[in-house]
Amino acid sequence: MPPTPRPVGLSRRGFLGATAVTLAATACAPSTGGGSAPSTGGRLRAAFAGGGAQEVLDPHQVSLFVDAARAKALYDKLADQGSDMAVVPRLAESWEPGPDLTTWRVRLREATFHDGSPVRAADVLYSYARILDPEQGHRAKSDLAPIDIEASHAVDERTIEFVLHHPFAEFSNILAAFGAYIVPEGATQFDTPVGSGPFSFVSFEPGRNFVVRRFDDYWEGAPRLDELEIVVSNEESARINALLGGQVDYAHDISATTARAQQGEDSVNLVSSPNSNMMGFAMKLDRPPFDDLRVRQAMFALCDRRELVDTVLSGEGSVGNDLFGKGFKYYAADIAQRERDLDTARRLLREAGAENLPVTLETADVAAGFPEAASVFADQMRAAGIDATVNQRNPDTYWADTLDGGHLSVNRSGAMPIGSHISQRLLSDSPTNVTKWQREEFDALYTKLQSTADETERAGYYERMQRQLHEEGGYLIWGFANWIVATGAQVRGVEQAPANTLDWARFDKVWLE
Amino acid sequence: MWRYAARRVGFGGIQILAVALLAFALVEALPGDAAVALAADDPDPRTIARIRERMGLDQPVTVRFWEWLTGLFRADLGTSLVSGRPVTDILAAALAPTLTLAAIALALLLPLAVGLGVLAALREGGAVDRAITSASVSLYSVPEFALAIVLVAVFALQLGWLPPTAVGVSSLLAQPAVLVLPLVVLLARPICSISRLVRAGMIEALGSDYVEHAHRLGLSGRRVRYAHALPNALAPAAAQISRTTDWLLGGVVVEAVFVIPGLGTELVNAVAARDIPVIQGLALLFAMTTVAVNLAADLVAFRLAPRTEVVA
Amino acid sequence: MNAPPSPSHLSSGQAARPPRPGPVRDVVAVVLVAVPLGLALLGPLVAGAAPERTQPFLPDAGWLGSDFVGRDVWRQVLLGGWSIIATALCATVLAYLVGAPIGLAAAMTRRRWVDEALLRPLDILLALPSLLLMLLLASIAPPTAWTVVGIVALINLPDVARIVRAGALEVARRTSVEAMWLQGESRVAIAVVFIGRAVLRTLAADAGVRVVGAFYLVAAASFLGVGTGPDTSDWAVMVDVNRDGIFLTPWGVLVPAMLLVALSMGLNLLFDRLLSRRRHEEHTL
Repeated sequence: MPPTPRPVGLSRRGFLGATAVTLAATACAPSTGGGSAPSTGGRLRAAFAGGGAQEVLDPHQVSLFVDAARAKALYDKLADQGSDMAVVPRLAESWEPGPDLTTWRVRLREATFHDGSPVRAADVLYSYARILDPEQGHRAKSDLAPIDIEASHAVDERTIEFVLHHPFAEFSNILAAFGAYIVPEGATQFDTPVGSGPFSFVSFEPGRNFVVRRFDDYWEGAPRLDELEIVVSNEESARINALLGGQVDYAHDISATTARAQQGEDSVNLVSSPNSNMMGFAMKLDRPPFDDLRVRQAMFALCDRRELVDTVLSGEGSVGNDLFGKGFKYYAADIAQRERDLDTARRLLREAGAENLPVTLETADVAAGFPEAASVFADQMRAAGIDATVNQRNPDTYWADTLDGGHLSVNRSGAMPIGSHISQRLLSDSPTNVTKWQREEFDALYTKLQSTADETERAGYYERMQRQLHEEGGYLIWGFANWIVATGAQVRGVEQAPANTLDWARFDKVWLE
Repeated sequence: MWRYAARRVGFGGIQILAVALLAFALVEALPGDAAVALAADDPDPRTIARIRERMGLDQPVTVRFWEWLTGLFRADLGTSLVSGRPVTDILAAALAPTLTLAAIALALLLPLAVGLGVLAALREGGAVDRAITSASVSLYSVPEFALAIVLVAVFALQLGWLPPTAVGVSSLLAQPAVLVLPLVVLLARPICSISRLVRAGMIEALGSDYVEHAHRLGLSGRRVRYAHALPNALAPAAAQISRTTDWLLGGVVVEAVFVIPGLGTELVNAVAARDIPVIQGLALLFAMTTVAVNLAADLVAFRLAPRTEVVA
Repeated sequence: MNAPPSPSHLSSGQAARPPRPGPVRDVVAVVLVAVPLGLALLGPLVAGAAPERTQPFLPDAGWLGSDFVGRDVWRQVLLGGWSIIATALCATVLAYLVGAPIGLAAAMTRRRWVDEALLRPLDILLALPSLLLMLLLASIAPPTAWTVVGIVALINLPDVARIVRAGALEVARRTSVEAMWLQGESRVAIAVVFIGRAVLRTLAADAGVRVVGAFYLVAAASFLGVGTGPDTSDWAVMVDVNRDGIFLTPWGVLVPAMLLVALSMGLNLLFDRLLSRRRHEEHTL
């Protein structure tokens, strides 16, 4: 699961909060620098929020965005997600299923680690076994769960045969899972990490800075930069100040407010990537009042999504339709967009005998826009006659607390394939089933989907599952936030991409003018 | 004086241990633990249980505290639950920038605050006094982040005289320019408060029988002021500086705004991560500093003005 | 954020003679206090219904623009004074209610161990970094206004006890009190009637700045996320939550901050004034 920036440091409200002056003009500009040929050399400094002395370089323990950015510079995965969540081959050249989708044969491309040794099947098997180690709580463990690592084996130096516990048609999603990086066989310490990524390690001070240099033998061609330095700054205002003062060239995770204040500045380019962050509310279906379908539908009807996007996201985003993955592969875009309908909401509440229904909305200052979303939605519920209270919780334990506690909570999710969203959150035995959506026929559909090789047929299953969720589900997904980074005017080659996808924080394609 | 000092040191030791115990108890009482914090938005109960086991959090509280306490006597503060690094290394890394900043701030604070306080006291009721007094009251009331925003906007971004942050600077002393704005913000409130204190003490001392007596003895005004009145005026100021040290060490806002990876930042991170050994180490460090500075300040006050009642 | 340096820095408790009072100064002081206080007390009555939310930090919304969730800043200013003033006052009063008796008792006792038993636990509190105390208490306690009151009072407690003790000790050693002892006056009578009255002056000098300190501790608590539902209207909280938009529309930060600064300055001037009058009376008596 892509990470939330763990609540590090101070105010995390930064991200969302200004008016909807559109950033489109500045947003799309910087990918190619007016046709001039990319130059090489130089050191790029990028500022991210971090986790202080708690930070580690172990790529299987990534948790924060800065961890992921560092892992990405040093390591490679077998595959990665493109901006629409379609899988793009990386270290894997190809993957072919066996007849019943329970075995997959992966062919590796020719690549070398920073120490000159080749990337071999044994390294891949070691890395996956390490992630799946039951003693550890490694991030990609649940994504890799379908793999039977004992039975998987190397066919030759560059070919692996993966054996799965059950058929899994979307096997490539596993290869692209967040944190599924390939480390050399036997690697246990990561003080001086060796990977196969575009940059090789120079130095690391936890919570401060991280320096890597160009790896000339990178399989995809050497990066243009000589060196990359990642520095840590938890305050968003400090990141933008450092950028304006020329102390850094790239500032990750910029608020819409800041973006608006910096608009028109020649020295700053803003790169705003749509559909990056799902924003929603999670209703729990296994307890009152949301065990009653009419109450859930009343909530769907009373929600003014436009107002939420305009105020909470400052217009830097788009409205949602109670379904995850807008703009992604298999998203059911044909389902009609829900609009606010207060009369219907009131009628449904009346029918359910739930007028003046007391509802407590859980929130915490755990991610951008959370307190704001709670404040705005509480007012919207009140307008429909619901007696809404906002409960501000402790941010450090919010996710664990709201997994089982309360009945309505503010929720978010980073970008991931729709299939992963379903398997992690919407099956009866999903580890983080916050809405308690537990339906046997839905589980069965998913199993059938993953045993179906034909893509059109799979798309059909996705459509049916999403219709069910749209009609009766517990996620009220009101919007999708853009992800904004700011760069200095001299920086070229920064692409729009949702956080944690292939082109996000991808510094090997970036150059300085 | 020496007996007094010995008693104070002894009590200081007890104080520090009590702080350690209190901090441990408070952290234990926090909702959630390091495993929950690490799992973040992926709170799979099985994962959390595994992490908890790996961190040794499944051990009883008493066992963990005892292990920590016995480690203390071997000068071993344990390792971070999250990163596995020794707590002493983490403290040393975070201490350097904070100490640099605090030491310079203290070195500037005393002459500035005393100078302003004395100046105001000698011109009591005059224009200078009024200017200093009103400026200090109003500056004291300005939130420090507001001051920081204004200073950065003007001196770093508009005029470009100073760097806006200390981001990526490995040693603060290597690039002293990055220290200027943090120091100004850090010093604003203590200067106001201590100069007021010095002013009050000075006026009180100048009006006392003791100083009048010195005048009658024919001592020069200058001598009376600086050799007799000033030490008496400094005593309460010295006794209060310990609270300022606490303030200087834990300057989270200044550290965040100017990107200085010091003790305050580390404490906030450690609490968010529920990394008990690190929190304990920091609490110990803070307590030791506070106790030491308190002791030094009381001894100084004792020397400056033995007649002052020092709360022993 | 950290607890600001103890407000006792501002006035040591040994009341110094403030600059000579003048009529202009009095008027200024009264205005400085009256404007924020009036807004705080009358604001909620005249605030009226909430207008539609707009986009956040919109300078044209209302006459002070909109805040971080698109609410009218002026309305939030009207609503937000009461709670901060009440919280700061409650916390200060609570600190005195608990701290003053401890300090008095410690000063009055003739037994050293009682003195120690009363003050040592507070010294330990003093050695616990206020930042840590705040962070931890903020995480443990439910995020309500009373939690903030409690935390702020607790942080002030050791200071209050020490100041009261120091003030009382000076009086208690005076010959007149010694004489009362010898005459067999009851301990309570001495404490309350004589020493208590003398200590009041110290407290008056201390109270002004302590309330000001409390304002900023409340703001600090907000910074650490305690006592602040997103629906809260509170000047100190406004200063914190609206700072992201300071370059778009500054009023959400500036107006509440200026009101707090005015109130702080005014209170200090008034307490100084009060003090000098008392002093004056004493001298003429």
